[in-house]
Amino acid sequence: MTGAPADMPIPVDWYLYLSAVLFIVGAVGVLTRRNLFIILFSLELMLNAVNINLVGFSRFHENLVGQNFVIFVMAIAAAEAAVGLAIATVLYRNRRTLMVDLFDRMKG
Amino acid sequence: MTVSKVLFIIFGVLAVFGGIGAITRKNIVHALLLLVFTFLNVAAIFFLTQAYFLAMVQILVYAGAIMVLFIFVIMLLNLRTYGEEEQTHRKQRWIALVLSILVLAEFVCVLATMTFTAVGGGFTPDFIAANGGSTKVFGIELFNQMLLPFEVASVVLLVAMVGAIILVKKEKSGGEATRTWEPGLQPSAEVAEEEV
Repeated sequence: MTGAPADMPIPVDWYLYLSAVLFIVGAVGVLTRRNLFIILFSLELMLNAVNINLVGFSRFHENLVGQNFVIFVMAIAAAEAAVGLAIATVLYRNRRTLMVDLFDRMKG
Repeated sequence: MTVSKVLFIIFGVLAVFGGIGAITRKNIVHALLLLVFTFLNVAAIFFLTQAYFLAMVQILVYAGAIMVLFIFVIMLLNLRTYGEEEQTHRKQRWIALVLSILVLAEFVCVLATMTFTAVGGGFTPDFIAANGGSTKVFGIELFNQMLLPFEVASVVLLVAMVGAIILVKKEKSGGEATRTWEPGLQPSAEVAEEEV
């Protein structure tokens, strides 16, 4: 495995373009969908786009701090998923829907 | 055009299409499966970048644990399918789409004008291979430089776990009084019965 990829590494720009596209896809999901679950999925997608950036730059600069940081992003993503799903459960128990625009009790 | 570049393009395109599929499906479970597909492709990209440990963590934690958590909650909530209802915000979806594409164009314009110069931190693939492999070097680096953030992350996970348990716990008494819903959204008799 140390042969071809080490000699000709993938350009760091490619990681950035891929990550930008994935991030925008996630942002579109957050902004347009009404279902709370799909919004949580889109958040995970955006966090993954950030991870691609971190790993690409870590390889580019030959430094492992970026890869270590990905572990923390994953920990925060797990915590966010746990709390978000708990909130979704409580909302569904109280309101019998997961469409976010129906949660307008606070007139936001 | 080396093999790794071709594979990167293939996995990247598949990841993007999986993501687009995930945010456009009506069925939540289909969306979740497409999201898992995207995460597996991202893990493949981590493999190509020689971040082997992170690729495995991506598969185990993201595509495994977190997505199983989502599946469990979807199963517990017993959601009906939202086939007939509108899935997107009627007013804001076109504005959001146009603005997002503008932001993407902005990203591309900025990236096209930038050139990056490698700093060279010393962790070359040869160095990593000589020092016992990527997982060992990664672990040593994590527990030497990032020890305090690591401990803080464990506290964050603990707080999230306790918070999730407290949020979903049902109140012992007086719980029914706080359970209110809009008049237009009365649960069906069967659902209300099931809840008690």
